[in-house]
Amino acid sequence: MDVKLEMEVGLGQDEPRRAVERFERFANAHELPMGLVFKFQLALDELLTNVVSYAFDENEPNPVITVGLRLTDAQLEAVLQDNGRPFNPLLDAPEPDLGLPAEDRRVGGLGIHLTKAFVHGLRYERVDGWNRLNLVQPL
Amino acid sequence: MNVETSYSGSTAVAVVDGRVDSANAKDFDEELSAIIDRGVSSLVVDCGGLNYISSAGLRVLLIAIRKTNEAGGGLALCAVPDHIREVLEVSGFVRLTKVFATADEARASFSG
Repeated sequence: MDVKLEMEVGLGQDEPRRAVERFERFANAHELPMGLVFKFQLALDELLTNVVSYAFDENEPNPVITVGLRLTDAQLEAVLQDNGRPFNPLLDAPEPDLGLPAEDRRVGGLGIHLTKAFVHGLRYERVDGWNRLNLVQPL
Repeated sequence: MNVETSYSGSTAVAVVDGRVDSANAKDFDEELSAIIDRGVSSLVVDCGGLNYISSAGLRVLLIAIRKTNEAGGGLALCAVPDHIREVLEVSGFVRLTKVFATADEARASFSG
């Protein structure tokens, strides 16, 4: 098996959901296990939500966000690319302190924390003005 | 996402179903805030029908935990599906709120 799906993601608040629901249909069509689909979906959602919310200035002339999915017998892979400001969520997001009481807890960084916990292979690179995030989940 | 709430004095049970993510976290926040603003200090969130929650939804729960703690009560969860439970564990939310099997057990925890 070697199937691919490419999609563009807009800057609207509903766009991450639209993208992950498309991923979900793709994953279900290829009968991937539900637990894996949920975790990968959450990771995509968290990463795309970050990009949609923070990567671009309001007057950015040509914002582009793309998601490429590839499914083989061995693994599920996603490549997220955007031409926004350089940001490596794997290093630049704050690490949440999970030991703090509710009054002192902050939610910043929690999405990335969940992403790191739920997806095995995560890699970031900055290439020719693009942020590129690579997610790999062995099957 | 849909929230249906039943009230009993200063305790309420909010049954949440569907999906909570960055697209509708604001609506979820408004729903829970409206419940607490009615004088509810002990809030049970029944997650039996919740099939998805992202960090945007966790943020809303955190706000509700703070508000109900400040009001002298608290927030408890019940009927949490396994995959949602894993999100709560990884994000450390199981330390911030108690998780019960049923709404009755969660409600009873407030009357003790």
